[in-house]
Amino acid sequence: MQGTEFDEAEFFRSVAASGARALLIGRRALVVLGLPVLTADYDFWIHGDDIGAFNEAAGPFGLLPTHTPEEARQRGRFALQNDEMVDVLVARSVSTVDGVRVSFEEVWSRRRPVRLGPTVSVSLPSLDDLILTKRFAARPKDLEDIRLLQVLKTEDER
Amino acid sequence: MSERRLLRPETQARLRALADRRLSAREVSAALDRPITDDERDEVRALVAWFRRRYPTPLERLTYARLAYRRWRASGAS
Repeated sequence: MQGTEFDEAEFFRSVAASGARALLIGRRALVVLGLPVLTADYDFWIHGDDIGAFNEAAGPFGLLPTHTPEEARQRGRFALQNDEMVDVLVARSVSTVDGVRVSFEEVWSRRRPVRLGPTVSVSLPSLDDLILTKRFAARPKDLEDIRLLQVLKTEDER
Repeated sequence: MSERRLLRPETQARLRALADRRLSAREVSAALDRPITDDERDEVRALVAWFRRRYPTPLERLTYARLAYRRWRASGAS
């Protein structure tokens, strides 16, 4: 399947229907929240036990995994790709650059469901957790994103 | 007609490495300790308001982002 034909709504619907515990993170999450940032990939953080379900949900869209579930669990991440690229984090927990340990279970428990359109939803981390995930890779653009999210957070709290 | 100037591959690779490098905890702390100014806050608010008005549903925003990235790639950027 060509990426240009990629049906985003159906993809997210398929992920939601799979039952996989999957959080949309990365810049696509910022876009969902209303921040117009440039991004190439979809980034998800999923539960390590749900790799199979997630892959099955992505399969009909021609997205093929780069690693087996076992390999992915060992590496802590893998990708699904065709013309589109989906980076998938599967680690139970990840440390930020300044040493804060962030566990999937805790982030999942604080998730916020977001309705993408009339019949499709996606789970996002809370704003505080999304900011923490931006401190995993801690690239210059992640710091820019954190500042954007901090403004969004103060707006939400008003 | 504008002439497209492409960066040499090694320059692109160097820029990518700079953009993708992991900052130190100290660098992160220094950057995030810098207060958000009123101007910066207003700019972000205006940007979000425009984007949400122009693309009211998250799905429309995602579609915009996907197409914007394709346009950017087609322009010769990388």
